[in-house]
Amino acid sequence: MRRRTSILLGASLGLGAAVLFVFGANLRSGATALNGALIEPPLPAEDFTLTSVAGPVRLSDFLGRTVVLFFGYTHCPDVCPLTMSRVAQALKALESDADRVQAIMVSIDPERDSPGRMAEYVQSFNPGFLGLSGSAEEVSRVAASYGIFYARAAASGESDDYLVDHTATVTVISPEGSIQMLWPTDLRSEEMASDLRYLLRR
Amino acid sequence: MTPKKRRVLRITLGIAVAVITLTPLGFAVLQPVKVLPRISLAPGFQLTDASGQRLTSDDLKGSIVLYTFTYSACGDRCAEQTRFMRETQERLAEVESGGMPVRLVTVSFDPERDSPSALRDAAAKAGADPRVWSFATGESTSLKALIGGGFNVYYEPGEEGDFSFETVYVLVDPLGIKRVVYRYQTPAHESVIRDVEGLAREARAEGMAHLAYEAAHLFSCYSTPY
Repeated sequence: MRRRTSILLGASLGLGAAVLFVFGANLRSGATALNGALIEPPLPAEDFTLTSVAGPVRLSDFLGRTVVLFFGYTHCPDVCPLTMSRVAQALKALESDADRVQAIMVSIDPERDSPGRMAEYVQSFNPGFLGLSGSAEEVSRVAASYGIFYARAAASGESDDYLVDHTATVTVISPEGSIQMLWPTDLRSEEMASDLRYLLRR
Repeated sequence: MTPKKRRVLRITLGIAVAVITLTPLGFAVLQPVKVLPRISLAPGFQLTDASGQRLTSDDLKGSIVLYTFTYSACGDRCAEQTRFMRETQERLAEVESGGMPVRLVTVSFDPERDSPSALRDAAAKAGADPRVWSFATGESTSLKALIGGGFNVYYEPGEEGDFSFETVYVLVDPLGIKRVVYRYQTPAHESVIRDVEGLAREARAEGMAHLAYEAAHLFSCYSTPY
């Protein structure tokens, strides 16, 4: 009788611990204090191949690391440099954990943004950042699959000095290659860093 | 340790274990909060609506959106689809969304004939309230990628200006994540209203309530039979 009770107790404890591990993960690490929208279970992230200055790069090359993915363009006057510098500051705040994060910016203006220009642009924020470009079709497919809209701003007319309207959401991809979190445009670097710490701790 | 202390310890431990194990079990069985599963990100897009204005996926972020895909020249063949959208529009008045905007979007895959004025006619004929229900279309290659690729809805131009296509309704949450795809048959209004209200409640939840919804995503997702 006593033995059966102990076995039952042990089994329940084991199950309880397992459940607590999953269920309590959010509570333990303060998921209520997250700034972005955590997506649990994560959504499938479409793998893609685009071009860096060093050649083709696949998203799946970064399995095992957390990817911070942003779509923008180098002629972008406001939101892109702001977002990229915030991501750079956030990674700086992570110190050695920053090695576990790869920031990638994909150009939604491939006509003007060559892979070389992208590399130069992103590396001015952080030498480890990766800038990607591709053909108009490739970029359009990748952007759409990440819920990103972009279009030449109507007010720009036909001049070469046009602006591009685009979704400025940042997508955080888990080391397993799934969409784990969405950051709204106006997140501050401390908020990004705090979310990343949470994700890296899991 | 005296036997009495041991018993107290055992009882306390038992209660703790029961709470820990029964909470998720309770979630699974009683389903105190139900959530619609997150399917995948809805595609990003730029379309032109019936007033000739740009309608983008960004404009619809923060709203719950029900999409459907058709063409205006479809006429009577699409009467059920149009009626379903109109009735949904009417039923939205009774939805308790707590201020969360709910929008309907009919996307035409026939941009050649569906100019803004044709869309305006179609919208008027359908009884669309332009504040709630938008009609829009785009450029044909990007439409194929958007509707066929992004929303996974089949359509193919036929010989005499008609299209063969499947009637699908897609419900997207305020974050831009696909939550329900009603395929194969027209859904009951009750299901759609229930799903919209569920999404609105989930989007409004904060703090512990938000965590309860997040827990529900792990333990008690339900899906509609479409």
